[in-house]
Amino acid sequence: MEKVKQKDLILYSGLIILGLAAPYLFSAFKVQLTYLCVLIVLAMTWNLQGGEMGYNTFGNILFYGLGMYLTASVQVGMFFPLAEWTESGGEKTFVHTTAQYFQGIGVGLLVAAIIPTIIAGAIGYAILGLRGHYFAICTLGLGIAAGEIAGGIEIIGAGQGFTTPPFPAEIVDAEARGKFFYFLSFALLIGTFVFVRYIYSSRFRLILNAIRDNEDKAEAMGIQTMKYKIVGWMCSAFFCGLAGGIMGGLIGYIDSTDVAFDGREMGVFMVLMAILGGKGTLWGPVIGATLFHFFKEGLWTLILGWQYVALGVLIVVIVVYFPEGLMGWLREKYPERFGEVIDEKDRKAQVELK
Amino acid sequence: MNKIAKLFVTFISAITLALVSFTSSFAKVEGEYIVLGSAISLTGKYSSNGVHTQNGYNMAVERINKMGGVEVQGKKYKFEIIYYDDESNPKRAAQLAERLIKQDGVHYMLGPYSSGLTKAIAPVTEKYKIPMVEANGASRSLFTKGYKYLFAVLSPANQYLEVAIDLAVEKNGGKGVKIAQAFEQDAFSQDVRLGILDAAKRTGSEIIIDDKLPKELNDMAATLAKVKAVKPDVLVVSGHTKGALTAIRQISEMKVDVPMLAMTHCDAAKLSKQHGKKSEFALCASQWHKNLSYKDKFFGSGKKYAKDFQKEFGYDPPYQSAESSAALLVFKDAFERANSFDRDAVRDALVDTEMQTFYGNIKFGPGGQNVAKPMILFQVRCKGDDCENRVVAPTKWASDKFYHPIPKWSERS
Repeated sequence: MEKVKQKDLILYSGLIILGLAAPYLFSAFKVQLTYLCVLIVLAMTWNLQGGEMGYNTFGNILFYGLGMYLTASVQVGMFFPLAEWTESGGEKTFVHTTAQYFQGIGVGLLVAAIIPTIIAGAIGYAILGLRGHYFAICTLGLGIAAGEIAGGIEIIGAGQGFTTPPFPAEIVDAEARGKFFYFLSFALLIGTFVFVRYIYSSRFRLILNAIRDNEDKAEAMGIQTMKYKIVGWMCSAFFCGLAGGIMGGLIGYIDSTDVAFDGREMGVFMVLMAILGGKGTLWGPVIGATLFHFFKEGLWTLILGWQYVALGVLIVVIVVYFPEGLMGWLREKYPERFGEVIDEKDRKAQVELK
Repeated sequence: MNKIAKLFVTFISAITLALVSFTSSFAKVEGEYIVLGSAISLTGKYSSNGVHTQNGYNMAVERINKMGGVEVQGKKYKFEIIYYDDESNPKRAAQLAERLIKQDGVHYMLGPYSSGLTKAIAPVTEKYKIPMVEANGASRSLFTKGYKYLFAVLSPANQYLEVAIDLAVEKNGGKGVKIAQAFEQDAFSQDVRLGILDAAKRTGSEIIIDDKLPKELNDMAATLAKVKAVKPDVLVVSGHTKGALTAIRQISEMKVDVPMLAMTHCDAAKLSKQHGKKSEFALCASQWHKNLSYKDKFFGSGKKYAKDFQKEFGYDPPYQSAESSAALLVFKDAFERANSFDRDAVRDALVDTEMQTFYGNIKFGPGGQNVAKPMILFQVRCKGDDCENRVVAPTKWASDKFYHPIPKWSERS
């Protein structure tokens, strides 16, 4: 791993301090900040496939939804009969003690990280042979199918949805729940960032890039591309599963197609955020997700009923004016700041040739 | 990296500043206004019913404010509602509830549209101890969770079509019937299904088709083809507005003959207007009908409410609007009896609610559901091309006799 530069160190510690202080500074915004952390995680992990590897996946929502259902199921199933919890839309009520709640969510998150990772490996083995549009369409199908299937499984509530265990009532502080989920998601964000940053300084990233730029050549050079593609997807699934688990607990109610396998919203948003910020960069998805979230929270309520039109306009603007995202646009404008050396003479010569 | 980092820091600090300036706190009661909050489906799959709900709320706010408002401790207050669009999505609804409470400082909530969204919002209002009077979350499981701050002016979803099965059994000489059913995969419709399952067990009826319909409901031909083949005695369909419209459209297109067709959301879908004679004889469950004989001093009778609503919004009020209007009458009554803005005092007053509104009697059971009001059934009947919803059950308000069985398509003109 490359040595962290001093300037970067200041930046990172500043951001971490800001992140730790945020729920106290902006107490009323805890839930939105939690969403922000989760959105950044989703954008960063999507970027591993869509940006670095050149495989536009719509399937990451599958791992997110799985994580959500798994966390909630384990949290309930560890202490109570799951089938009775969800029966008749959750008519029966069982109450978790404080200890049970936290033990449950802990084990639940663990499961929510591991199982989607394994599933990503299995599915990846089957479909990562597809390329380009074929892969994109195939993964799109995965998310939709998962939503419909989950809507038919009685033990997780089927069409009636799954009410996740309420935060323990013994904790009287009304802010505690918000803080708990915020710090959980913030920890996940840091974990994801550190991991992705590590990947950025490793050979692994170069291989992913090679796959993106020319998969056949990469293979010809002796790289087992399939292996790396699968491992890359498993990494994303790991973090997506955790993100889903946290969101399930925070939202408190899981619906098969609208909350868990929410390809229409979360699934599209993660792609959009990564592209907005600039795919294939470390900071792009972070900035993209942050901007997007502020745009959404700030403006959407001002244009009641028209927000999706505004979103459509935003997508068009991004694609037309910033096809490479904000980071890409900046890089083109100020290449020297990205450490790119430009030969002025050569540049001028090219201009004159035209 | 250096410059980018700087840029990022500038960006973050700009946001920080913006947020800090944003966090100015609002009050639950601003000047002469009592501020209520509501997340409503203005877009997405529930948008038509979301608008019915919003119209109902707005109509009541306007009427109550015009007639003197709410009197608390000798001072007159007016109602005001902050709306957000939840996009028919539970995730968004939960987030907006949080936002209404934490950022807009709302201390009293009105419910969203649909059971699923209410299920997502209830844990939030409960956590912050915010009284919520909701008018559109009928799922039975909402009332068994031990929520203390949730009050519903409507009857639970499982009661919607139970009566229809009883009617069918009665017409069958007390013997069990063969039921075909198709329900949308959402909290409300699935709860209606539970009601039917109970009724079937009770009456010894047999369920021969039990289908699930997708959420983006615009085709149920597969179910109807089966219905044509097995000839059930009753066909039950529930899937909000789209379910009702799709069912009638395809039943008439495919000429499916079934002696009895029971549905929900016929009035919200404006079936009798949109499909006219094709929708005739459909039996519909409803929380309310304008011909019921309830009265209050704000809206007068149901008929008067329907007339005023028609004048204001240009269509006949479906029960979703009526029950939403009733929610505000409940709030007004509770504020005045509590004579305070203390949330727990208002909550305690809500528990003791016992009143009559144009929409029906309201009294909350231990789970928060309204236990004082029965469901009604109406049937679409036509005179020439003019179709209307006529109440057929319970007998107290029935204006017409229940027409059974539905004539075959080949015999219908």
